[in-house]
Amino acid sequence: MSSESRGSIHLDEAPRTLASGEREFMLDVHTQDLEVNMGPQHPATHGVMRILIRTDGELVTGAQPHLGYLHRCAEKIGENVEWLQYLPYTDRYDYLSAMNNNLGYSMAVEALMPGLEIPRRAQMLRTICVELNRIGSHLVAMGTYGLDIGAFTPFFYAFREREWMMALFEKICGARLTYSYIRIGGVFNDSPPGWLQEVERFCDVFEEKWQEYYDLLVVNQIFVQRTANVGVISKAMALDFGLTGPMLRGSGVDFDLRRDMPYMLYGEMTKQKVFDVIVARGEMGTLGDCWDRLYVRVVEMMESIKQVRWCLDNIKPGPVLGDIPKVLRIPIGEAYVGIENPRGELGHYVVSDGGKIAVRCRVRGPSFVNVAVLEELLPGTLLADAVAIVGSTDVVIGETDR
Amino acid sequence: MNVPMSAVERSNVFYDLLAKFAPAGVPTWVLALTAAGVGVGILITFVSVLAMFSVWMERKVSGHIQCRYGPMYVGGWHGWAQSLADGIKLLSKEDLIPLGADRPLFMLAPAIVLASIFGALTAMPLTPSVYFADIDLGLFFILAMSSMTTIGVVMAGWASASKWSLYGAMREAAQVVAYEIPLGLALLVPLLVVGTLNLREASELQSGWYGMHWLVFQNPFVFPALLLFFTAALAETKRAPFDLPEAESELVAGFMTEYSGIRWSFFFMEEYAAMFLMSVVAAIFFLGGFESPVTHLAREQFGADSPIYQATAGFVLLLKAMFGIFLMMWLRWTLPRVRIDQVMTMGYKYLTPLALVCVLGAGVWEAIF
Amino acid sequence: MDFQGIHDHLRAIGAPGLLGVDEPRAMVPGEKPGHPKDPGRAGDPYVLVDPNKIVEFIAICRDDPRLAFEILMDLTAVDPKADDPNLWLVLQLLSIERRHRLSIKALIPKSNARVPSCTAVHRTAQWHERECAEMYGIKFEGHPDPRNILLPDDWVGFPMRKDYEFPKEYHGISCE
Repeated sequence: MSSESRGSIHLDEAPRTLASGEREFMLDVHTQDLEVNMGPQHPATHGVMRILIRTDGELVTGAQPHLGYLHRCAEKIGENVEWLQYLPYTDRYDYLSAMNNNLGYSMAVEALMPGLEIPRRAQMLRTICVELNRIGSHLVAMGTYGLDIGAFTPFFYAFREREWMMALFEKICGARLTYSYIRIGGVFNDSPPGWLQEVERFCDVFEEKWQEYYDLLVVNQIFVQRTANVGVISKAMALDFGLTGPMLRGSGVDFDLRRDMPYMLYGEMTKQKVFDVIVARGEMGTLGDCWDRLYVRVVEMMESIKQVRWCLDNIKPGPVLGDIPKVLRIPIGEAYVGIENPRGELGHYVVSDGGKIAVRCRVRGPSFVNVAVLEELLPGTLLADAVAIVGSTDVVIGETDR
Repeated sequence: MNVPMSAVERSNVFYDLLAKFAPAGVPTWVLALTAAGVGVGILITFVSVLAMFSVWMERKVSGHIQCRYGPMYVGGWHGWAQSLADGIKLLSKEDLIPLGADRPLFMLAPAIVLASIFGALTAMPLTPSVYFADIDLGLFFILAMSSMTTIGVVMAGWASASKWSLYGAMREAAQVVAYEIPLGLALLVPLLVVGTLNLREASELQSGWYGMHWLVFQNPFVFPALLLFFTAALAETKRAPFDLPEAESELVAGFMTEYSGIRWSFFFMEEYAAMFLMSVVAAIFFLGGFESPVTHLAREQFGADSPIYQATAGFVLLLKAMFGIFLMMWLRWTLPRVRIDQVMTMGYKYLTPLALVCVLGAGVWEAIF
Repeated sequence: MDFQGIHDHLRAIGAPGLLGVDEPRAMVPGEKPGHPKDPGRAGDPYVLVDPNKIVEFIAICRDDPRLAFEILMDLTAVDPKADDPNLWLVLQLLSIERRHRLSIKALIPKSNARVPSCTAVHRTAQWHERECAEMYGIKFEGHPDPRNILLPDDWVGFPMRKDYEFPKEYHGISCE
């Protein structure tokens, strides 16, 4: 931000002498823009992020995100621990969708092990867990977005379902938030008896409750007024900033890694037309505004339910972990694998020199890229809109800072 | 009725009681002061108990709307003593004043806010014969006193030496000024029908139809005016969906951020007292005040002077006011927050013209019928 | 297009700075994953590019209609070994229209780690380059906002390099 912060009233002309001989008297009013810190402790920044905002009254004239408050050197740690030991660290960057992170890392390392076959049951379980986690993550996104806008109740309703999801995960792998369940070569262990039936019950109940969320929050008139036409990201801007996931689909770009560059079982599901890709159409307000992004997230949850149901219908008994040695030495090579995280494309770039420890374990977090767009979006909006826009990017600071 | 009575003699039942039991020779002004003091004490107690009950109610209502219980343990049955426990905790907190804060203004702000609401509540009758002060300009006095809370809020925001508090104060000032107009205009409509600003008399004039001759039924423009009044009252008391000045998720607590302990509890009490005040005004000027079939029955059975009738009437008014408060809480936990420029647009461009239309319509109706 | 097609097309249009490719070896039959029988490489193929021409290269990748790499997915660096004289600058491109990816690598000498900045071509490079600069000590020439992004402004050293020594203390706080 520039060092001179001009206010709203600029007196550039000198006082004139009027026809009557009087001299015009001008009150020299200099207003200065206020520089406020939004964060790092703030209810609406979804973690420890600091945005330095310059405002003129309620109008934001400049914004500068400052990161690094949650930097935990995950990439440096990746160069110091063994392949399997790194898995718990992957849970912790995007802690709301830890299954997705595990999957991304496992797939990147598996790309360096040509010929490794992942059992079908493991892929089914992986898909079920990943999609359930996507639902959980979108529930948090929707609930906390409602909180930011001032609707307190959808948050509690969303967390009611999320608690059930976390209980399901607790039954299968023992943890509620950071799972380390999806391992290199498959999954950690098989589902306990009755688990698959409970997942099916969850799907049934969720479909009813989804309608509640939609009616209470998404089409609520006040909510629409707060989020429509706010924070519009055009398609060109989205591509320039490297946005992916709901941020991109909210701007009308029809692209989803699961359908267009499929991995795991998504290719089969695409052929059988199990799920649709939800792209915003600018129903309320401009295409690419905050409402569109939330709409994509909320409706995507139903598509995830369809994918889970397909897996439940097609899952068969079998082994859940591929044939990998106890001490893992990955062949020399490098691979980049990107998967569809609830926030965008989560990319893992892994470099190996044939040993037990990685040479490089780079994580391309979608939230890191999504936060960059705030610098461009926030100026020109009102302060309350700034909160709405930050909420619509659905950032998780663990992933932004790693 | 037209005999001029001294203000003191007409003031309240406490004065009458004291006058009966006081030893002879005590001058009138001592009696009046003591009566006023007793009245003030009762008022403060009443409002404090009311605020504590409202807080408990808010937590239970919000809990049940959000699929959870709310307080359950403190005191036994559904945590009824939760507010009491919270009050004791707040009393024992450290009195923090930020380093850069403007000390006199910082300490004065909660006092102003609470004092103006208490002042407004003195015009409220407890029962048809028990009141703190029988003010002829009752409604006008209430509106004037409740507007003074804005001064306190702006003071609090400024004196807190925090930019976020300042935002809350600025929003508050803009919002309250915008909604004073529809508030007053919406109240003009029942005034046109009932013709008096005195709360007690206004209630008495709704006693026909077995206690159901409420103002909402007396003129078709009074019902829209009720809705307008309620919306404007939500904005005046800074309740959701107009709670921008204390927007929790944006400004932590807006203008109240730097206040803690007993000072914060003053603001808190003021919020619930203001909600109660607006509900009582709505109850009296729109929904019949003391009147209902039950009070009518009580009056027939026991006479207008009996304590049973008084208690029933007071209870009915309290029930109506509590329903208004419940409605405000219900709205708070259902609807999101409206943005400040949308608040102003609504106030100036939609509510004010609608209120004017209602006033015009009500006047025409009254002229014709 | 698959990688072979992309590489052929890049050669055909004469993409500036294209130095070569590196492709993984095919699997030897009977080989168990994790126990390679002969040296070689697994993983993804990549295109090797001259670091000074990298901006033009990715501009062509973005603008050419058959390549159409609209999104710069990742821009990062790798320090392969403490005694290796070069750092790797690795870029990942994604094409939404064509549904293909490309990995680009440039070798940058550690003694003179300077690269032109790609911010003009892809705005997303701005933050990725800031992170690279602070972690590896690469200077991105022409970068509009070269501040530290994840590390504090007064951090000394380049943490991701293999020869980095952790500080003993920072502003009086012990880092042991």
